[in-house]
Amino acid sequence: MRRHHDCDGIDHVIARRSFLAGSAAGVIGANAIRGEGLFSPARAAVLETQQKRILQIYLQGGVSQLESWDPKPGTKYGGPFQAIPTSVPGMHISELLPHTAKRMHMLSIVRSINSKIGDHSQGMLFMEKGRRAGEYPYVGSVASRYLAPADGDLPGYIHISKRGINDATAAFLGARHAQLKLDGNKPPANLAIPASIDETADQTREQMRLRFNRRFSKQRSPALTDVYNSSYEQAAKLMKRKAMFEGKAQEKDLDRYGRHDFGQHCLLARNLLENGATCVKVTHHGYDTHAENFNFHLEQLGEFDQTFSTLLDDIHDRGMLDSTLVMVYSEMGRTPKINTKYGRDHWGTAWSMALGGCGIQPGAIVGKTNADGTKVAEREVDAGHLFHTYLSAVGLDTYEDHDLSGRSIPIGDPAAEPIEELLS
Amino acid sequence: MAIGSPTLDATEPLYKQIDALVVSHPGFRDPAAPKTDDASFLRRIHLDLTGSIPTAQQTRDFIAESAPDKRVKLIDRLLDSPQYARRMQVVFDVMLMERRASKHIKAEQWEEYLLESFRQNKSWLQLCTEMLTADGTNEQTRPAARFMLDRELNVDEVTRDLGRMFLGRDLQCAQCHDHPAIDDYLQRHYYGLAAFIKRSFVFKDPKTKLSSIGEKADGEIEFTSVFTSETGKTEPRMLDADPISDPPSGPELYKVKPAKDVRSVPVYSRRLQLAQSLADPANVAFRFSIANRVWAMMMGRGLVEPVDMWHADNPPTHPELLGLMADSLLAHNYDLKYLVRQLALTDAYQRSSRYETQPADQAPADADDYADDYAVAMLKPLSPEQLARSMMQASGLAEQQLASLIAKQEKAEEKVEKEKEGKSGKEAAEKNEAEASSATVTQQTSSDPVWQEKSLNKALRSHVATFAGVFGSKGVQQARFDASADQALFLRNGDLIQRWVALKNGLSDRLAAMKDTEVAEEFYLSIFSRMPSAEEARVIEEMLEDSEDRKVGIRQMVWAGLASAEFRFNH
Repeated sequence: MRRHHDCDGIDHVIARRSFLAGSAAGVIGANAIRGEGLFSPARAAVLETQQKRILQIYLQGGVSQLESWDPKPGTKYGGPFQAIPTSVPGMHISELLPHTAKRMHMLSIVRSINSKIGDHSQGMLFMEKGRRAGEYPYVGSVASRYLAPADGDLPGYIHISKRGINDATAAFLGARHAQLKLDGNKPPANLAIPASIDETADQTREQMRLRFNRRFSKQRSPALTDVYNSSYEQAAKLMKRKAMFEGKAQEKDLDRYGRHDFGQHCLLARNLLENGATCVKVTHHGYDTHAENFNFHLEQLGEFDQTFSTLLDDIHDRGMLDSTLVMVYSEMGRTPKINTKYGRDHWGTAWSMALGGCGIQPGAIVGKTNADGTKVAEREVDAGHLFHTYLSAVGLDTYEDHDLSGRSIPIGDPAAEPIEELLS
Repeated sequence: MAIGSPTLDATEPLYKQIDALVVSHPGFRDPAAPKTDDASFLRRIHLDLTGSIPTAQQTRDFIAESAPDKRVKLIDRLLDSPQYARRMQVVFDVMLMERRASKHIKAEQWEEYLLESFRQNKSWLQLCTEMLTADGTNEQTRPAARFMLDRELNVDEVTRDLGRMFLGRDLQCAQCHDHPAIDDYLQRHYYGLAAFIKRSFVFKDPKTKLSSIGEKADGEIEFTSVFTSETGKTEPRMLDADPISDPPSGPELYKVKPAKDVRSVPVYSRRLQLAQSLADPANVAFRFSIANRVWAMMMGRGLVEPVDMWHADNPPTHPELLGLMADSLLAHNYDLKYLVRQLALTDAYQRSSRYETQPADQAPADADDYADDYAVAMLKPLSPEQLARSMMQASGLAEQQLASLIAKQEKAEEKVEKEKEGKSGKEAAEKNEAEASSATVTQQTSSDPVWQEKSLNKALRSHVATFAGVFGSKGVQQARFDASADQALFLRNGDLIQRWVALKNGLSDRLAAMKDTEVAEEFYLSIFSRMPSAEEARVIEEMLEDSEDRKVGIRQMVWAGLASAEFRFNH
């Protein structure tokens, strides 16, 4: 079943997904693009006026579904923690998430992920690319390409994390849509022009550089030189936002978010989204609990719960939740079976994630696992379906091809489809 | 037979046969771009064979030289230079180790090993054999064991990289099941390779703390498909070749028996069998893979691209050409310098990177449409090492450093000389002969190109490492050019580049001391390795006239040149 076959294509996507339906932009856009390819300039302009954003909270290492979104207290593998009611009648989550529980009317849960991958790197790549293998862009790079305004003030995809090296996230979408990795809340290095020159000299040297480039580009393919040049454009954007990156966080905000890394990173994420960032990813490390699973989850999720709830409130209170897709995800879940070190191991067979905001039906539960949590019992999905779902939620038709000349590469894996009942 | 065959003549030198196959390929654009001019050729070949742009003086000399065979002579001179060995060391280090941090073998020792190997022009086969058979116990051959040791002899890691680096195939997905998308990557290929090394392990000597490789006499590979749950078994095998059974064992399985804190050594080693099986001429993947990688190094793109993804659905663009090079390598005992030289001699290598038959204002819209016919030379992004060395060359830092290293060495040599003269009488007369020879050696040191290259490389090493950190990536190397904002910020505002731009007695100072009318030529020769056009020279003169502070203006100009696309690419 393909969406554009049963629903007359693109205007459907806009009509159904648009939160500005009936606004000038929506109407003009829909008329202008009828019958054109999805990512014609007109279509891109429509998406830009809608200001869709994505916030990714990545619980690195593989959060335990049993200690979070799919608790099974009193069962064989349930562990010591109880389930508590949430703001959605009938929905229970782990008692480790009391603040989040009060906000579940803003979120939904998918409890039936079977990714078949119990490996950090492969699992992460599947969740980000929606494909098990191959050179495809991450969710954030796709968002940067199709959701970010061309003249946006910030790079389209920003990742806040204190560990790891740069991932190659953009694949064929090109360097300007690659992830900009921020080392925690440290501003990027080299934001200030050198002390030895002033603004005028800085402008002069940039103009000279461009002049050299123009001469070089004649009769040459622009593919590589454009990539190089765009890195300078991105750099210039960041330099303009120097004050924002270097600004001190407000004490009041720090009190609310927490002074630990995750608190500060989420606060930065809020500021970036407010300032026009399109996709912001925050990585919360430390869920790979092969030993002492319960103590670690108590600690980690305690940090997560308070901070995430504050961030969610702020996004909601600023009126941004309707246009911001929120994802809370891992690269895999953890084994129901508890090992001899009170740990849970890698597990791709039956696990959960939460998502909400833009384009997502709030307060829903999709799928379920069996009584012991050892298998998916209903509505099995994998990261291919989830990938379609995230991007459908922000208004893309994921069956369409990427906007590449001469190549036909569908945005989502054609073998999977969005979780329709989760889309609003 | 393919279309190109009638023009092939086996008695022709390889480079002519290569050109014939390139030109007769169905997708070839005719007319192709013309031969590139001397200055562009000089820059290109310097970058490819020595890892840096030439100096302004080298460019002047080459343009002025009138010998009709000056390109051939230049190629041969560069191939004989110590810089060639360095360039190959860097290329093969990145290819084989992918910018890993060193664990058991110090990076310096490994680099020295590679450098010496390329200086001797060891064959690819010999290099591979050494890397795959060294066990780390012999101090002489120990660095060669880095390929295995620094991967901790992790079976999956080594197996994957054996496939990628020596066979041109990334069999990783075949680890869990026959590849879902690639019909010819099979579990038995993956596990066949794994079986060669499964019995080997990293042994740490409790006394010396040195790591080396031990091996057991047993241990079989079994695998299960995650899809079908079928279980398989395999002995060592090279792709589709027959499995290699262990020879019938005698009464003794071990040369050194396994025990606590003992490095066991079996009578029959599967790991030592690996190099032999790779090199078996029946294993065509081995020579195709290295031929493809050398082609990619010189031409900017593999005939199979990515270079480690050869399979039925991603065949070579020019299969006959790749076969020709691979077989020629085999016939020349895997002599890499031979293949590099032949490629440098081709028209395909020496074409302009401009499509000059097109109107000037009309650039080809999509590079991918023109990616692989070799009718126009490709832009090759400079590697982090090439970029660092070229910037240090252009800014004058490299020359300055070398001059000071030589001066220091000469001083030391003078001192030795004086001490010798100071000695008197019979003692000196007796010793004179013996010392004379050692003094001669010392005396020559400062003018020895090998010593110069090594000393300069050492002096610039930390800067090169900085560039590798900013522009390089760890792990599987992406062929596709990418440039990120933090790289641009590094170039634009970073302290290091600013220091080079304002280097005392460096390029900016040299230009500042010149008359306005002389600046353009020296600037273009130093940065872009070519003469400026009249228009370009006029622009520079105007700029100098307009600038309020001439010195500052020149520095900005130097920066803009270093930061330009023309500098960033080998073109």
